[in-house]
Amino acid sequence: MTIRESRVPAWAAAVCDGVHAAGSRDVVYVPDNPLSHVLRDVRARLPDVRLVLATREEEAFGIAAGLFLGGKRPTVMLQSSGLGNSLNALTSLLIPYRIPVLLVVSMRGDLGEWNPAQVPMGRAVRSILEAIEIPHVTVESPETTSEVVRVAGLRAFDSRLPAACLLPRRLTTGA
Amino acid sequence: MTRLEATRAICAVAADAAIIASLGHPAYDLFAADDRPRNFYTWGSMGLASSIGLGLALARPDLRVFVLDGDGSLLMNLGSLATIGLLHPPNLFVIVMDNEEYATTGGQPTPTAYGADLDAAARAMRVAATTARTVPELTAAVARPGSLVVVAKVTESAPTAKPPLDYVGIRDRFMTALGEVRG
Repeated sequence: MTIRESRVPAWAAAVCDGVHAAGSRDVVYVPDNPLSHVLRDVRARLPDVRLVLATREEEAFGIAAGLFLGGKRPTVMLQSSGLGNSLNALTSLLIPYRIPVLLVVSMRGDLGEWNPAQVPMGRAVRSILEAIEIPHVTVESPETTSEVVRVAGLRAFDSRLPAACLLPRRLTTGA
Repeated sequence: MTRLEATRAICAVAADAAIIASLGHPAYDLFAADDRPRNFYTWGSMGLASSIGLGLALARPDLRVFVLDGDGSLLMNLGSLATIGLLHPPNLFVIVMDNEEYATTGGQPTPTAYGADLDAAARAMRVAATTARTVPELTAAVARPGSLVVVAKVTESAPTAKPPLDYVGIRDRFMTALGEVRG
């Protein structure tokens, strides 16, 4: 067993593999605790993936849109709380212009949440995505993570519309 | 200098550069000045023009990218300056059409009318910046290497034309011109 395998959770490595398998080499992100494992694994193992730090999720989707216009297949990684910050970018840029982005969403406010301030948005994430007609899928286990992320990415890039992959806390924190 | 004159000045030096226009009057003036295939007109997502330009500049280091932003728009996404300062792609040029008002929504004054300084804000975020008050100053400013913010102090030019509402058509024409639509 290598050091990487002992330190990066299986689900996080599988997220990286799924993003890579979907052909995405550009990840724009706003940091989050569970996602830190994913970002660390990207840095350690996937030198061909560019990581771009954004100050806010809405900005991240703007950068991702520009990456797509320049021929890339962008992924945006964010915490579910940041979906609220992203809605104008999604509904007035990505969807009407048909700009595809794979959303990898680290969930807050679901089972195992310790901070009640995270609960209202966490509960609303799926309803909001459905209201703006962004397809979403929830990863249920480390074993299926890579394939689910890959398929969500292909859905986005093939349809030229955003698609979301949700990572629940029972996956990312063992809650 | 009116915003339309400033826009024409950018088009005159743009050659094969991409131009990303913020929604409302900056996009209307770009359409009126020169409806080039390498123009990307936004019709929403206020504040994100500089972020779109940043993403494109990162994806295509071979391409110069001009962003025609507004003062009100950039104020909605000041964090973008920090990200540009962090990554500083040399091919990115953000021209802020600073008319000190929200002209598209009826002329309400923006904070720049009371002294808010976007040139200083950019420099504080480690982005090279300058202010241009005339067409020659603007033309000279964008001849410098990027990343660069140019605050163009402009007066309102009351646009009379608007780009089409065909968003996918705007996208496809733009990406085709950049050689990014394949098969």
